[in-house]
Amino acid sequence: MEIILIPLIRFFGLLLLQVFILNAIEPGMGIYLMAYPLLIAILPFNYKVVTVLSISFLIGFMVDLFSNTFGLHASAAVTMGMARPLLYKYLAPRDGYDVLRQPNVLDMGLRWHLLTFGSLLFIHHIWFFILESFRLDNVAEALIKTLLSGLLSLIICLIIQYLFFKKEKAR
Amino acid sequence: MRNLIAFFQRFRIFLYYLLLQVISLSLYFSYIAYPKGQFLTSSWAVTGTMLSWQNEFTKFIHLDETNEALQRENVRLRKLQLTNFINVSTDLIKVKDTVYKQQYEYIPGSIINSSITRKNNYFTLNIGTTQGVEIGMGVFSDKGIVGVIHMTSKNFSLVKTILTENSNVDVLIQPSGLTGYLKWNGKDPTRGSVLGISQDIKLVKNSTVVTRGGSGIFPKGIPIGKVEKLLPVEGKPVWDVIIKFSEDYRSLQHVYVVKNLLLKEQTKLEEAIPKEEKK
Repeated sequence: MEIILIPLIRFFGLLLLQVFILNAIEPGMGIYLMAYPLLIAILPFNYKVVTVLSISFLIGFMVDLFSNTFGLHASAAVTMGMARPLLYKYLAPRDGYDVLRQPNVLDMGLRWHLLTFGSLLFIHHIWFFILESFRLDNVAEALIKTLLSGLLSLIICLIIQYLFFKKEKAR
Repeated sequence: MRNLIAFFQRFRIFLYYLLLQVISLSLYFSYIAYPKGQFLTSSWAVTGTMLSWQNEFTKFIHLDETNEALQRENVRLRKLQLTNFINVSTDLIKVKDTVYKQQYEYIPGSIINSSITRKNNYFTLNIGTTQGVEIGMGVFSDKGIVGVIHMTSKNFSLVKTILTENSNVDVLIQPSGLTGYLKWNGKDPTRGSVLGISQDIKLVKNSTVVTRGGSGIFPKGIPIGKVEKLLPVEGKPVWDVIIKFSEDYRSLQHVYVVKNLLLKEQTKLEEAIPKEEKK
């Protein structure tokens, strides 16, 4: 029961947080707070790439429905879903991942999480902001937006994980 | 043939990624370019309903400002009432007025979802085709213009605000009577720029910028902002006139949608202009 319920609660909780609270916060300087990439990052290690891609697309699409972006989030989320397995493979421990562990900060440690999730978030954000501006003379601006938003999003996602996530029991 | 199958098997994940990417990007670019069907926006019934629930909770935040805005507008309209005026000429009698024909009607609505810091900003309104909203109608508030209706559904509609890259509203700078068109630079939600004004013309700071009403989307004279400074455009003999918007889009709640009763007549007449002259 728990195995189905907890991911569902996380899914809808983070989605609602994104569309109703974070979308409404606009601190200026083009900063856009995004918490939904965390959903893609914390999918279990043993999921197939195709599954991850499909789920990413679905998540991005649902955020799009609420924020008048017509597919921009979906595109960025799919790109992140594609980068995820490559990055996780590259940064895997020597004897592979423990299937019982989840790819969140509590299970995998802060260093690993900052490295993987930070890069994934960067890829997601830069894809999002460059597509949004869609002009070569605005790349510097998109980069600034990416760095500022990425940093704030990362902090928010860390807070969410420390507050609401539970460490997998050592077995 | 076998090579082809092998190729697809080898790259099937990447091909699946490409497929999803093509779907989302084609949706994005086709919706951003011109108004289309009624899908994938917050004017879609389910998301629209949920967003209006959210608005029920959050509208109290700007209640004071909204009340003040409505009161200000009431005062302005009350001043125009006939009972406030006395008849100064004694030799005229009042007749029932048939000289004027009504051209514009206004549909009131409120914003239930908005963004102002994106590159292209859209607002969702809680009124739709049931209330008479159609694609292409103008939207303004008591302090300034807001945008043009981009998509509609039964009970919701989506406004493409002037805070988008190609809003191109015709504007008039008063009192000099110059015309130009409005652009937004994608950064500052409190400032826009007016292009199309030749550099040999002197412009006074703080002159007001209003709608021109040429295309029949907005009535003439709806305020937009004030001229703040003039910047030269590189390589062209025109000014980039920076204006400060009179409306604060961050706390905007209540708007009016313009219904032009004579729009059909105007477009029918303007169809007579040959295509190549219209630009």
